[in-house]
Amino acid sequence: VARSADRELDWATVHALAAWLTDQPGAVAFSGLIPTYDSLLVEFDPVAATMREVRSVVARGLAELWEHRSRQSVGRHFDVPVVYGGEDGPDLGFVAGLEGWTEEALIAAHTGKTYVIRCYGSPAASPMMDAPDLPVPVPRLKSPRATVPEGVVSLAGRQAVIAPASAPGGWQVIGRTPLVLLNKNAEPLVPYRPGDTLRFRRIGSEEFEARRGEPLEPNS
Amino acid sequence: VSQTVAIIQPGHTVVTDLGRTRGPALGMPVNGALDQHAARVANALVGNRPDAPLLELTAFDFAARPEVDVLIAVTGARAQLTVDDYAEPQWHPVLVRAGQSFAVTHLHEGLRAYVAVFGSFEVPRLLGSCAPDTVLGFGTQVRAGSRLQLLREVPRVIQPELGAPLFLFDVRRPDMTQPLVVDVVDGPDKADFGETVRRLFTDRFRVGRSSNHVGLRFEGDPPVRQTTGEVLSRGVPVGAVEVPAGTEVLVLLRGRGVTAGYPVLGVVSEPGLDILAQVRPGDLVQFRHSTIDEATAQTRRRRAEVDALAGRVQTAFLALDLFSLAHGDDRWSASGTHVPSTSHHI
Repeated sequence: VARSADRELDWATVHALAAWLTDQPGAVAFSGLIPTYDSLLVEFDPVAATMREVRSVVARGLAELWEHRSRQSVGRHFDVPVVYGGEDGPDLGFVAGLEGWTEEALIAAHTGKTYVIRCYGSPAASPMMDAPDLPVPVPRLKSPRATVPEGVVSLAGRQAVIAPASAPGGWQVIGRTPLVLLNKNAEPLVPYRPGDTLRFRRIGSEEFEARRGEPLEPNS
Repeated sequence: VSQTVAIIQPGHTVVTDLGRTRGPALGMPVNGALDQHAARVANALVGNRPDAPLLELTAFDFAARPEVDVLIAVTGARAQLTVDDYAEPQWHPVLVRAGQSFAVTHLHEGLRAYVAVFGSFEVPRLLGSCAPDTVLGFGTQVRAGSRLQLLREVPRVIQPELGAPLFLFDVRRPDMTQPLVVDVVDGPDKADFGETVRRLFTDRFRVGRSSNHVGLRFEGDPPVRQTTGEVLSRGVPVGAVEVPAGTEVLVLLRGRGVTAGYPVLGVVSEPGLDILAQVRPGDLVQFRHSTIDEATAQTRRRRAEVDALAGRVQTAFLALDLFSLAHGDDRWSASGTHVPSTSHHI
């Protein structure tokens, strides 16, 4: 867990450290590296490496990253078309009401922000982002939906996300993109990575139907 | 003759391996064999790499018919293994002749059995692993009539009809006497539960009905979180012990979503997870407080046993010239595939 006063620095640190660890010669010992907002989970095979070895390689990584801290990679940008409300965004009205806003105001807030993809999340390589500034954090559904379709755009707490795959979901769904995020026959599976930026753009149902199934691609 | 195994009775079976270790960094569960030890032993017994694809059977009867001679090993839950209706031992390499059928039935004292086949299966992989991922819809279907492609067959050197069993490997089987003792080391948020954390270790817990490869639910008197407030989403390890709704203990298994926002009060050790892979609803579990040093030592000791077993099997197979179809170092090639070379064909 990174605990500086600087949230951006904490986030950048855990992701840079995960990338650095992936490139180490002994990386086969790591059975899971999961960087999120302010923490990095390192799972390792206790037969391939000891706790002490892992601690020392993590310390070495942090020291090296600190030395090269000025080096910043430039992220790519994605535009994501979204149909808001209706069947595709059943919780739009509830969330707007909770915030004391009109649905239009909530859509304006959601489309009015450039998001930084903070980390990958469940169910599968979901782009996790900070939600737009909302007066009230968005509660999760009391009873999660058994399944939500791929492409749904949702909010929970102070986070925003797009679901690359159909899965059970406890977040409030406000819209859906016709674009396909995940291609299991490609590597990488998804076109974005933490550090890339993203904006939502409101579309109508005609454009949704026309673009259904198109892959999400970065702006050139 | 095609080098396949035809599935007669699929039961509830998947083709899996030790897991998709590149998945968690992408927000995908690691998945893979829930009883990792049983999977490693099964592969060791047939001379395969530890991470070779194998079958994981859950609860239901399974039967298949190989079209070439194969050597199989069945580990995990206690079951009845038969080859053309003759009983054969588990935790042991067993020869199945082309056209014979083998069945693994009546799983008990455990929930999951593993079937490894000499040379393993040719199956699609995603990020280096064949383990099914239900979210992505990835995995090899095992249905009645499915044919699983083998990477190679057993050379015709084995003549078990001539008498004594070919191999005698002494493998220690897990003790499934109840209550099952499962070791737990401290989690990052243990302090959130104050004194009540003790309940995890003093009470016994009963495995609940709605348990699967994602997580196990336990009925009992759970520790109570003393703090409030949202935990920011972060990585949660396989084996995480949580009390999400305050009413039951949840242990996350290899199918878990990799991020969550509940406090983690403990983490089940690797040997403990192998035991939990075998519990059934209604089973009684006694959690035991352990340390990272103790859990590491235990894991290493057990893995050394498997490595020693793999060594003995390799020696025996080499003596029988069993690897002659693909002799040499390619057995351990990074790709995990066995490339047949024609030069040593018998």
